[in-house]
Amino acid sequence: MTDPAHVQSRPDEQTAAAPPVVDVRDLRVHFKVHRGLFGSQLVKAVDGVSFSIAAGETLGLAGESGSGKSTVARTLVRINRPTDGSVLLSGAETARLSGQELRAYRRRMQMVYQDPYDSLDPKMTIKDAIGEGLTVRGVPRARRKSEVEELLARVNLPVALAGRYPGQLSGGQRQRVSIARALAVSPEVIVCDEAVAALDVSIRAQVLNLLKDIQADAGVSYLFISHDLSTLRFMADRIAIMYVGRLVEYGTSEQVFAAPAHPYTQALIAAVPDIAALGGPRPAPLPGEPPNPASPPPGCAFHPRCPLAVELCRTVAPPLVRKANGQLAACHVVPDAPEVAR
Amino acid sequence: MDLVADVITVEHLTVAFPAKEGTGEVVRDVSLAIGAGERVGLVGESGSGKSLTARAIMRLIPQPGRVTNGTVLFDGAELGANSAPTKWRGTKIAMITQDPLSSLNPLVKIGTQITEMLRYHRRLSRTEARGKAEELLRSVGIPDPRRTMTRYPAVLSGGMRQRVALAIAISCEPRLLIADEPTTALDVTVQAQVLTLLERMTAEHGSAVLLISHDLGVVGNFCDRLLVMYAGRIVESGPTATVIGAPAHPYTRALLSSIPSLRGELPDRLASIPGSPPHGGGKASGCAFAPRCPLAREVCRQTDPALLKISDLRTVPADSHQAACHALGDENWNQAA
Repeated sequence: MTDPAHVQSRPDEQTAAAPPVVDVRDLRVHFKVHRGLFGSQLVKAVDGVSFSIAAGETLGLAGESGSGKSTVARTLVRINRPTDGSVLLSGAETARLSGQELRAYRRRMQMVYQDPYDSLDPKMTIKDAIGEGLTVRGVPRARRKSEVEELLARVNLPVALAGRYPGQLSGGQRQRVSIARALAVSPEVIVCDEAVAALDVSIRAQVLNLLKDIQADAGVSYLFISHDLSTLRFMADRIAIMYVGRLVEYGTSEQVFAAPAHPYTQALIAAVPDIAALGGPRPAPLPGEPPNPASPPPGCAFHPRCPLAVELCRTVAPPLVRKANGQLAACHVVPDAPEVAR
Repeated sequence: MDLVADVITVEHLTVAFPAKEGTGEVVRDVSLAIGAGERVGLVGESGSGKSLTARAIMRLIPQPGRVTNGTVLFDGAELGANSAPTKWRGTKIAMITQDPLSSLNPLVKIGTQITEMLRYHRRLSRTEARGKAEELLRSVGIPDPRRTMTRYPAVLSGGMRQRVALAIAISCEPRLLIADEPTTALDVTVQAQVLTLLERMTAEHGSAVLLISHDLGVVGNFCDRLLVMYAGRIVESGPTATVIGAPAHPYTRALLSSIPSLRGELPDRLASIPGSPPHGGGKASGCAFAPRCPLAREVCRQTDPALLKISDLRTVPADSHQAACHALGDENWNQAA
């Protein structure tokens, strides 16, 4: 595939020496969905996505339901297999690993899920859940207790909780346990899939601050997935916006929020009811709904909802290229950067 | 407040569940009034009692909970215990919930569910009802109403289902519409559509709205007035601009500063509230927020503060701003703490 996206996938030139921790190139994840007795249909959940994450950096991935953002997360931790494309971890290809090598890979790439009630074993005490990760890392039994206590302290949980079960904890405490559990294997990357979405507003800030502290201490990289743009603005250094399996915009957090290039990003930002914009005029909402990824519209998938759509958008999917205001966007109408600036 | 103009008046409402410890009161002494055409927001975290307040108004408190105190007046008259709920539910007060999949009957076609309302409550004939249903569905922005009426709820998208639920809710032109987290399950672009629609439909019919949400952004942008609930009590109430612009209660203040924004300076850390909200009702004594409150003192742990008007203490223009906090207006509070 000669998708221009992966030729120039980085909004900031990486500082030449160190390769990014995660480098995803032209990732495709397709599913065969059975329809009726003999029929089957190909759902292109992720269709040519490229991004990279530097050490100690947070990439925010936003999109509505059906955009494929969770599939990207699940493919990175290899719950799903990539259909095509490559996933480089510290420069080494990992997309086709299996067996022992895959287990080793998973130690370096951890995931924190939306609902810790589903991801923690209800019949396992907190210290066993965290201790499991330590076993995987090969921590000797004698040191396990002190390491569990250290991890609990790191996520600001009292040591007294070690003997409890997930059901005895509050939502915020459970999410801290999942974070401690992810940290137990000393991963390089933690994928947070809607990690604070299920938490109460007053608890969210605690967990977000904690994630930032851990990053400052351990230099871990995050792929932070959220539908909540204000949370992403706080967490992420760079932002990727997905729509039906593809990136439509990719740039630094500052660029994307200050001057969104793609009409979808603009609509998404405008649709957020922000308390800081109280009493201001409300923009007319974007019409329509995100399409079913099983049957996306031809051309640019956003064209049926797009206020700028022209004839070309109906037939040809636009490539992700650098736009005049600096970031990458996939849109025929928004003017490209002049050639020299590339 | 002018009682005559109020569509609904709730006074001293208390809802309790049997509890091993504590009072089990999940809604405590809640009073509120909503005037015709007014939009009031009820904000709170999970377990704050906001949904149960709405359910108490609808008399839908799940067993074994019960209303232990308080009255609900509709147009100044009590919705008596002996008047059957079918006489007013849906026609005078309607409700939409977070996921219409659980409020729509999954085995009945959309068309039947709407015409049922119109035929039963408004005594329309079968053909009249069908015509009216089509008109309603079109007005909530459903592209092909006639075809949608032959379909089942499960095949519609979340946004479309919420539109159908809204069409059913307004079909009998209720005086009060209670919307309990109506957009929480929806994508943000669809949320904006549904809120705009909710605004237009209720304005057209002159319905009062009680919008319940955990999202301060949603209620802040939609409502004229806000009520903030914590552990079963209203801890602050007032005009939206005042509550958000000049919050008086430490909980409201902390909540507002813990939300990241799309605009303005980006903080390194978010202000956060230590601890977590209590579940299953408040304690027997003291302010429920005291364990998490930066201003808490001995008196807060002993007596629950009353909800007081604060217009005379600060230079707040409206006289309807209220908060329940001992620290309010106490000049020496911070030094003495």
